[in-house]
Amino acid sequence: MRSPKALAVTLFTVLLAGVFLSPFLRSAMIALSTREQLGQANAPIWPANPATFEYQGREMVIYEVPFDDGTRDLALLRPGRTSSEFIDPADPETVIPWEGSWRALERSWTVAPTWSNFSDVWVLIDYPRVLFNTIALAVIGTIGTVLSCTLVAYGFARFRFPGRGMLFTLLIATIFLPAAVTLIPTYTVFVKLGWVGTWLPILVPAFFANAYDVFLLRQYLMTIPRDLDEAASIDGAGPFRILWSVILPQAWPAVVTVGIFTFVYTWNDFFGPLIYLSTRPDLQPISVALARFNGLYSSNPALIQAGTLMTLILPVLLFIVFQRFFIRGIALTGSGVER
Amino acid sequence: MTAAPPSRPVRMTPLARREARWGYLFILPWVIGFAAFTALPMLATLGFTFTNLTLTQDEPLTFVGIDNYRHLFSDPQMWRSLGVTLRFAVLWLPTVILAPFAVALLLNAKSLRGSRFFRVLFFLPYVVPFVAGVFLWQSMLANDGWVNDVLRFLGLAQPPNWLFDRDWIYPALVVIGIWGIGAGIIINLAGLQGIPAELYDAAQIDGAGWWAQLRNVTIPFMTPIIFYSLVLGIVEVMQYFLVPLVLKSGTGEPGGATLFYNLYLYKNFFTFQNMAYGATLAWFLFVIILAATLALFWSARRWVFYAGER
Amino acid sequence: MVEVRWYCCLGTGEDAESQLPVENRIVEEFNASHPNIHLTFEVVTYDEARDTLATQLASGNPPDIVGPVGIGGAEAFHGEWLDLTPLIEESGFDLGRYEQAAVELYQSGGEGQVGIPFAAYPSVMFYRKSLFEEAGLNEPPHEYGEPYVWPDGTEAEWNYDTVRELALRLTVDENGLDATQDGFDPTAIVQYGYEPQRDDIRGLGAYFGAGSIASEDGETAQIPEPWAAAWKYWYDGMWNDGFILTGPDYDSDEWAGQVDYAFFTGRVAMSTNFLWSTYGVAEGGDDWDVAAVPSYEGTTTSPLNADTFRIMKDSAHPEEAFEVLRYFLEDASADLLNIYAGMPAVPEEQDAFFETYQEQFPNEVDWQVVKDSLQYADVPNWEGYMPAYNETLDLLLTYGDKWATTDGLDMDEEIATLQDEIQAIWDR
Repeated sequence: MRSPKALAVTLFTVLLAGVFLSPFLRSAMIALSTREQLGQANAPIWPANPATFEYQGREMVIYEVPFDDGTRDLALLRPGRTSSEFIDPADPETVIPWEGSWRALERSWTVAPTWSNFSDVWVLIDYPRVLFNTIALAVIGTIGTVLSCTLVAYGFARFRFPGRGMLFTLLIATIFLPAAVTLIPTYTVFVKLGWVGTWLPILVPAFFANAYDVFLLRQYLMTIPRDLDEAASIDGAGPFRILWSVILPQAWPAVVTVGIFTFVYTWNDFFGPLIYLSTRPDLQPISVALARFNGLYSSNPALIQAGTLMTLILPVLLFIVFQRFFIRGIALTGSGVER
Repeated sequence: MTAAPPSRPVRMTPLARREARWGYLFILPWVIGFAAFTALPMLATLGFTFTNLTLTQDEPLTFVGIDNYRHLFSDPQMWRSLGVTLRFAVLWLPTVILAPFAVALLLNAKSLRGSRFFRVLFFLPYVVPFVAGVFLWQSMLANDGWVNDVLRFLGLAQPPNWLFDRDWIYPALVVIGIWGIGAGIIINLAGLQGIPAELYDAAQIDGAGWWAQLRNVTIPFMTPIIFYSLVLGIVEVMQYFLVPLVLKSGTGEPGGATLFYNLYLYKNFFTFQNMAYGATLAWFLFVIILAATLALFWSARRWVFYAGER
Repeated sequence: MVEVRWYCCLGTGEDAESQLPVENRIVEEFNASHPNIHLTFEVVTYDEARDTLATQLASGNPPDIVGPVGIGGAEAFHGEWLDLTPLIEESGFDLGRYEQAAVELYQSGGEGQVGIPFAAYPSVMFYRKSLFEEAGLNEPPHEYGEPYVWPDGTEAEWNYDTVRELALRLTVDENGLDATQDGFDPTAIVQYGYEPQRDDIRGLGAYFGAGSIASEDGETAQIPEPWAAAWKYWYDGMWNDGFILTGPDYDSDEWAGQVDYAFFTGRVAMSTNFLWSTYGVAEGGDDWDVAAVPSYEGTTTSPLNADTFRIMKDSAHPEEAFEVLRYFLEDASADLLNIYAGMPAVPEEQDAFFETYQEQFPNEVDWQVVKDSLQYADVPNWEGYMPAYNETLDLLLTYGDKWATTDGLDMDEEIATLQDEIQAIWDR
């Protein structure tokens, strides 16, 4: 660190990031615990079991019992309200009476993480299968969105045609449409088409563009000077050629941005896959599969968090790899909003 | 609203006609998709609002005129829920504008080392599956959760019982929401990086301090981003309901404070299975959002600053 | 080849570890032995199950067979279930092996025989032996009609007043003082005396006596007297006496925040709950057993949960679906009942069921109590028909949540307002 200011700013950011990310630590702790551990009182924040001592087939919890001459680690033999009986694990034959409430005593804890939660999730939801589904849905959905939105944005940005303003306004207005307005009729149509229980209701609409991404891409395309496409046009290039060899090379930061946002959105999308794929567990993505551990009377927080942590890796890697283009993509779009 | 120049029905030259044909061809995917997945379903639901459609349809399906709308305006729960949504919006909108902006400022600070690494960290929660995120926060914000542990450690004897106190539930929901601002940070960061460096240099020569630079250079240049975030923020907050649905199983507790408009809509649709009234609520919501954003677009002329404006 | 869709889980059946593998195996076995039918299994977890089924029905895409579904889960879709009478007659299915009361349970609401008895979950009093021992108290009675015996030998009727007395002594703060002692710190409770089944206030009420919100005419809302008493008992137990967890404490990580019921932590002494709750009881230690449900005003009521599989009225293949239903109720019933923890509705099968069921617990449990409890089942069933079922239930849940989270309410006023609000929904 060169300057104290840099040190201060960086330290502050570290602190802020620490606070911001602390739930992940909680998530990890839950993911490593058993249900029993999660229900323990006054337990440490890490997955821990109270130390125990087994004697004559009985498992007894070890407490830190204070005596006049110091504290001893003793196993609770017979708990009582005002006085209890303990035994020393080193000499289990002698019963040691103690006056006081055993509830006020500290237990000695041993760290006991349950790594098997991760492998349990792997097996229980057929993780490889589910991961494949998630990736396939996200990749195909992203390709469809990027392809269709680029074409549509190009149409709105570069061509004049009657009704363009009206159509674009209509497009923007769909952003404001609550999802509930269209759900039932749309679902009915998919039922009639025989698409429920397949990926089609989720994937096909992606190939027909959406308002958010068309808007973002159009704004970006508007910032690209027309000189180059006019020159290419004079050279006899058709609109598709111009899009491919003139526009796209300049627009890819925006395209990557749309790609990443779509990818993450599809990756976590819950409601669509839930209602369309309820018949086919073998086709479900991770978001729906994880919800299986959230049954009314069978909730298993540890498995949900373990599954979540395992799922983060891919989107994060993608973000790391593409973040440079990504930010440039929005940078230009951002300043071009509503031009 | 965003505007291409209005097109007049003039006689088109062959060249213009060719251009128009290409234009239509390119936007065709959206036109088809709009008709199939938006317009027709919308009209269908609009039709529902004039009927007595329910899931079980105990009574024969009939045309009921504007009965559903009459019920809508005299439904006290509708107004209460609209109030809940608006109250939350008052708290949420400033947050969703300011928090990502502030973090982006920090991540864009020249004196910050390793900003690319921090960007990843702040983006991280954005990719957590929604249900998992809500459960995590339920545990974090519990009375004996980590948040209150820290507050107690800092000397606060009676930290708020976030999820059960009518006064604290909105701040709690805001906290949960802030966790997912990763995308907002990125958008703000992009905006900041789009501000020409010369402007800061010039301001520094004029002797402007950090605050003056922020006020006179950064904020004016960021108004388009702020505007963009505000529009999307309104659209989102008016439809807000998934977090309370999962967090409170849709009960609206504490004391109806989380019975958001969209949650009430959702319950009418799926829990009460009253399709006609659910559709009416949905259409009313659409009108409200549209009106709010139109007003915002209208006001934008006064305060949104465009660098490239001609 | 006909496709039959089995829709799960409006109640239980969704547990990925213990239930789904068995259910999937049963589907495979069914398909292998029935070349004319292809059975598919749809799992939607409880939180989304009702909404998803509603969407499917609204879009004309109903599943064929639904279950396991309880009385309440089925009432949420009142009018959507197929009357099985013709299918039962045609196939010669013998209803005679069930108790008459169980068969009648599926005839209410005037829709015909919409179900066949399958799994029964009577309520019992679960309790932790070690906590009684530590307090120097005797365990609750296992036989109905037996009194509770205090350490000094005096006998008390096994009713909710006695439970209250006991629970106060079993509610302990971190210093080891119980709620009857001076210096007891109600802000530092580490062990609670009693936990009623609190998922739905109708059930809460039914422990004090059977009843219904709908009066005879089916249009007028009423609050059964025992229900009002039960609600006040619960409210006082939480906010005044402190031997029941308040809502916020209940939902905290220390108690039921991470497990489904506070009793599962091992730090609640008694809990009235349904048989199915055994699935988590052992998590808090193997020092538990079951006792008789206490009485109120001399009457004992053990609210019943009853699950079965039902066929949808709009099923395109009711006959094939009935074939699946029979398979579940006959060939696969032992396996299914075991994973659902449901006592067989056929009395002769009950002993065999408990023998298998006991195998998973290291401690010997007095299952006779469960069998006896069935005699005290609530009629009418607390989950049964009421007008505007879903909206009314939503209101009841909202009130239940309010009571669990708000101190200082006037319960008489609350109950009166609740009745008015229910009536307002019904009059609309």
